[in-house]
Amino acid sequence: MLGLKIIGAASIITGFGCWGLSAARRMDKRVGQLQELRLALGFLEKEISCIYSPLSQALARTAYFCRPPVSCLFELSSSILQEKSGITAAEAWNAGIEGLRLHSELQKMEIGLLATASLQLGVSEASQQKKLLTLLQEELALLEQKAMREAEGGRKMWTYSGFILGAMVVLLLI
Amino acid sequence: MDGQMLKQVITPYFTGAVKEGLSRLKAEAYRHMEEIRLRAAQPLLIKIGESEWGLTSRGELTEKLPEAITANREDLYRTIASISDNSLYAFEEEIRRGFITIPGGHRVGLAGQVIVQAEGIKGIKEFSSICFRLAREKKGCAQTILPHIISSGNIVNTLIISPPRCGKTTILRDIARSISTGYPACPPHNIAIIDERSEIAGTHRGLAQLDVGARSDVLDACPKAWGMMMAIRSLSPQVLIADEIGRKEDVEALQECINAGVAVICSIHARNLEEVKKRPLTKELLSQAAFRLGVVLSRRNGPGTVEEIIRWD
Repeated sequence: MLGLKIIGAASIITGFGCWGLSAARRMDKRVGQLQELRLALGFLEKEISCIYSPLSQALARTAYFCRPPVSCLFELSSSILQEKSGITAAEAWNAGIEGLRLHSELQKMEIGLLATASLQLGVSEASQQKKLLTLLQEELALLEQKAMREAEGGRKMWTYSGFILGAMVVLLLI
Repeated sequence: MDGQMLKQVITPYFTGAVKEGLSRLKAEAYRHMEEIRLRAAQPLLIKIGESEWGLTSRGELTEKLPEAITANREDLYRTIASISDNSLYAFEEEIRRGFITIPGGHRVGLAGQVIVQAEGIKGIKEFSSICFRLAREKKGCAQTILPHIISSGNIVNTLIISPPRCGKTTILRDIARSISTGYPACPPHNIAIIDERSEIAGTHRGLAQLDVGARSDVLDACPKAWGMMMAIRSLSPQVLIADEIGRKEDVEALQECINAGVAVICSIHARNLEEVKKRPLTKELLSQAAFRLGVVLSRRNGPGTVEEIIRWD
């Protein structure tokens, strides 16, 4: 009976501990994804303002340049545009953002920032597109710094608090 | 290009009710279609020959415009997005010139708020109307003119005089194709086409969409005067073809080409020879015997009707 109790307590502590560790890992992932996104937007900016690639092609190349889940934004919006079914860049970009939201650790504010670009993407001259994408990168860099600070503080907290919470639950059950 | 093919090429550029109406329109109607016009909050208009029609949502042509499909800003926005592949930045130069050439050589004219800066027109925004001008290849349409242009296997300097919409560009294209490819009475010639408005070759992303022959070099979207000089310096053409000459610099460049021994075939907007002679620049060109042949076109029996052949031998 005691052995069973020990196994149960260990399982609870491990479960809560893993939950805490995964939360801490999510914070690190978010920082990595923001950085990846910023670099990808830089690539897209060059594709548009220097090479003048059509948007669907520029997005496809950017998707190839970056890793999942960030690549999913560019891949999805590019494939929608390539269907040429009267879909606008804004609609395709928003569909890509939705895909990114589902598969990434990015938060509402970051997703919202990406969405602000939808109405301007592809529909103005190259210099304006460059301005738009540069601004996005700068704002993402600020969010990245903020996320990094949050991750530094939160990493230890989530790592320990998972185990502590598990221990508390065990104590309460005893 | 037959009606069905033209329908398949053109309809994907439209969306919503406009696309539906155009998709339901019989392929036969596309055979002689010349223009499709979309204006914000106005009925969609289709030009077939001399007549202009509205289009109902059932895909029927109508003269009663209140029954016709009305285009809205959204239709225009989506159509332009579709034409430009959602990449207006890649068409800055074309928009500055007021049109985009799409695959097939069809020209889409744009109107809206023109952005002007010190150096000239910068672009167009807030698009309010779109005009699809459908390009047509009529192979063999220059057959009646060609025997006059070729004299003992050589090309004579020719001026095609024509009002708008009388088929001068289509005839110039067929002349280019015929003398570039060659045929029993005419050996193949190297040709330079100065296609300032992308109409002769219908170039889209660097590729001529219309057949201008195997020995034709196209200087697309290039101002005629510059293009003529570039061509004689770098392409060593035997024949130079240009559409709608008229500016002072065009005439000067033309004289240079003739002096360089390059045969020139070009067109000019005018109803007849008298109108050409009234313009000081072209009058001077004619008085210098720059051209040996003049061809006057009209629409009397349809586009490309040859009204008069003039020889200045």
